[in-house]
Amino acid sequence: MSNLVGPYKMRPPILSVKVEDSMDIMIVRDTARRAAGLLGFTPANRAQLSTAAATLAELVLKTGEAHTIHLNGVVSGTKDGLQISSQAPWLAGVSANNVLLALKTKLGALVDEIILDGTPPTIVMIMWLSDARHRLLDDVGDDES
Amino acid sequence: MALEVLLVEDSKTQAAQIKETLESVGLRVRIAYDGPDGIREAIENPPALVVLDVKLPTMDGFQVCRRLKRNPATQDIPVIMLTEKAGPKATMSGLRAGADDYIPKDIFASEHLINTLQELGILE
Repeated sequence: MSNLVGPYKMRPPILSVKVEDSMDIMIVRDTARRAAGLLGFTPANRAQLSTAAATLAELVLKTGEAHTIHLNGVVSGTKDGLQISSQAPWLAGVSANNVLLALKTKLGALVDEIILDGTPPTIVMIMWLSDARHRLLDDVGDDES
Repeated sequence: MALEVLLVEDSKTQAAQIKETLESVGLRVRIAYDGPDGIREAIENPPALVVLDVKLPTMDGFQVCRRLKRNPATQDIPVIMLTEKAGPKATMSGLRAGADDYIPKDIFASEHLINTLQELGILE
């Protein structure tokens, strides 16, 4: 609990997964999908959130040190959301703008908000339940990859 | 009568495993081994659900999903993509193609597939 940060009020579910090896990436993905399901996200949104969480887990695993991915509900006014976060001490001293640009390029399509919060920095990603469906529909395009 | 699922999967081994999972929850399964066959099967005899691999010969799963979602005869059939391509770009490509879910083929895949079938109303 003490490592949980972010600009929004937190609510259950509150889950954490320690990332120490590649198997843990799969567990993070699974945990994110379950947390998103508990909050009422659609299967498509669950796919987005679990991919965002797994990608963050891959990123922290590359640092060579064990880190924890936190998954928790958040509330802002009447909106509920799911927050995925992890402390990123290796980013201390790196330009926040550059980090955010890189994160948004890789993960921006999957979540509504990406924030660097606190000291040492914590990467925080949020998808809002009430906006999620509209956001995905706005993104519908013809790209292939 | 059990609902029918169209499984589009080129690997016979993986098709057999997924078929077993779907049959274990009481669904009937028809298999197409490539994209064009999958589209034809879906149009000629619309299933209750399409489970679609991404890596397919001739036409990939994203293209198959897009064609199904653009055809009035098949656009309302739920599509679940079940795939080894699990990155952000591939996930968004699957969802933008119109997939109702995008599930990586990992050790949790069967459980997530069944949960989504319940969510979509395919299973009670």
